[in-house]
Amino acid sequence: MDGETLSQATPPVLYQALDPRVVKLWKIHSLIASGVLLSVAGIAVLILGFGRTAPWRWLATAWLALAALRVYFLFWHQQRVYRNWGYRLDGRVLETRHGIWWRQLQLLPLARLQHVDLHSGPIERSMGLASLLLHTAGTHEATIVIPGLDANEAVRLRDHLVTVGGDDGV
Amino acid sequence: MMESEPPRLPPQLPPPIPQQAPDGSAGTPRPGFAEGLLLEGRLHPLTLIFAVWNTIKGILIPLVVIMFFGRKRAEDLYFLFAMVFLVLPIGFATVRYFTFTYRIQHGELITHHGVLGRTQRIIPLNRVQDIRIEQSLLHRLFRMADVHVETAGGKEPEASLSVLSLVEAERLRAAVFDVKRTAAATAEAPPAREIIRRLTVRELVFAGLTSNQMASAIAVLLVVWNLLDDFISPEAYERWVLRTTQAATEWVTHVGQRAWIGFLIITVAVLLVGMLFSVIGSVVMFYGFTLARSGEDLHRSYGLFTRRSSSLPRRRIQVLKVEETILRRLFGLATLRADTAASTGQEQHQNRGGRDMLLPILRKTELEGLLPNFFPDLDNGGDWRQVARVAVRRGTFKGSLVCAIIAAISYGIQREWLALWPLLLVPVVYLLNVMSFRYLGYVHGPKYFRTRRGWLRRSTHIVPIRNAQVVLVRQTPFDRRFKVASVLVDTAGKSHTGGPPRIGNVPHEEALELARALARQAAETRFRI
Repeated sequence: MDGETLSQATPPVLYQALDPRVVKLWKIHSLIASGVLLSVAGIAVLILGFGRTAPWRWLATAWLALAALRVYFLFWHQQRVYRNWGYRLDGRVLETRHGIWWRQLQLLPLARLQHVDLHSGPIERSMGLASLLLHTAGTHEATIVIPGLDANEAVRLRDHLVTVGGDDGV
Repeated sequence: MMESEPPRLPPQLPPPIPQQAPDGSAGTPRPGFAEGLLLEGRLHPLTLIFAVWNTIKGILIPLVVIMFFGRKRAEDLYFLFAMVFLVLPIGFATVRYFTFTYRIQHGELITHHGVLGRTQRIIPLNRVQDIRIEQSLLHRLFRMADVHVETAGGKEPEASLSVLSLVEAERLRAAVFDVKRTAAATAEAPPAREIIRRLTVRELVFAGLTSNQMASAIAVLLVVWNLLDDFISPEAYERWVLRTTQAATEWVTHVGQRAWIGFLIITVAVLLVGMLFSVIGSVVMFYGFTLARSGEDLHRSYGLFTRRSSSLPRRRIQVLKVEETILRRLFGLATLRADTAASTGQEQHQNRGGRDMLLPILRKTELEGLLPNFFPDLDNGGDWRQVARVAVRRGTFKGSLVCAIIAAISYGIQREWLALWPLLLVPVVYLLNVMSFRYLGYVHGPKYFRTRRGWLRRSTHIVPIRNAQVVLVRQTPFDRRFKVASVLVDTAGKSHTGGPPRIGNVPHEEALELARALARQAAETRFRI
């Protein structure tokens, strides 16, 4: 992808990628979501079909379109999200960038860090992954999330961020 | 009523509060005396009267309705309900009066309340954002006041003391701010209060007149009319006026003189009544508005019937916003608002601009002179920097799209070529976009970041960079096509001023540099709420 767009003016520090295993985690999440969504849609299709509210042909097309979308999400989307995700620590500012169509670059001056949460859900934990939630006193974009870090790396990063940002706070 | 039950107290009893006169004869507060007990007290006995009054006020109308229109049989039952609703709040007030105590000790404001579950709340004084003192007409009659202690965040005040005598309320406020000053290691005597700006009734009347929605609409029409004037050829214009006049005369003769006059009178009356209400609202709300400063603290007090006063340390202003609606701009007037980190009030008058309002109305020319009162280290920062010219094209395209959609809908309904009139607005859309582009811009100074935008309704944000919490660069798919981006600066300020300061259509490279520079500057400064 054109990941360079956001990093053209890059000072020497390179963006770090997330742990590659996170793609698998996202795929599992996507699979679960797809399963739920497609079965709910399937039930809706059956109800509408037997109730003769809409012709079977339309319903089948709609359901297949949804299924195709979910297949795209499952096999390609997560890879692209992963490729576009990056974070880096440049001096006392943490930068994260992500997004495929809607790009966002978040810059967090570490002196504004209020507290850090280390979060890992059941699937995340079984894969040895963790997410960092960085909280600031902001009101609109108060929390910055770095998902899918190696659990040890997450702990190390958290300690480092807290140390760098340490001497200030509310 | 509830006193009959033996209260279950937690293992650690709060220190006993010596019985004392409610008017606060517990000794005068000494500024340098930060250690130990500085001030203590409880609610004023009149709390009960006010509780009765509030209850009656709340149920007065239902009560009257029941008394006069209640069905004969059910009347007693309704009356019983009413009594329950009357007695319960009074009971609660009694309990509150007997259990609520507060004190200032070791740099903390400590309140105790509750019977069954006793709650002790400790508010470190250096976290206090604001102490608001509110007096309704009844309060003023008895020289009482409600005191609300605000800290950062949260939907409600951290502590509400209702009611205290006015003397006690002022004493509490003085004590809190004195302790804060001592904590800030400025041993001098509290600086004298100097008045920054006072609003006269005349100005408030003007503020009311210019805040009227309908008047604003008329002003917008007039301005657009003026703009069109330059573009339409005189003949076409004349023809159009002629045709409108003809149509109007026809309509008048058709419907009849009386209906026409009636319509006119009603329109004018509605407008006048609307303006009258705006003026009354403005004067009642902001009567005697005074903005003063003593050292680091800003003080506001205002209100005709309900008198409000509040103090705000100026470094807690997260974002300053200058607002100019079209009508006010014609008169060279503006409104000054401040975002603070204090709790967001849900009350009606707060939405009308009580809390975040620094100055409801001021002349635009005074502004630069007043700003150093709020930001002592304000830098000029240089000239306004414009964004990418592509903003005009994009804005026009968006506006034209809206026009086209409206035209399509209108055509779909009427099936006539005349129904396509919304397309005629496209030149106006282009013009508006050029105008707003000229105004759109930002200033990136060493300590402050300013953005401004809008044309019909202008707004300028001034953000001390030390308040930046997160800086964002956003790109929509369209932004990427035009190689531009938006820069947003998020602060701890509550969004009274309509979202965080943002500037769109900045060339992408420039946006990245700007955002990184802002973040670096923020990282090098200290932030204290």
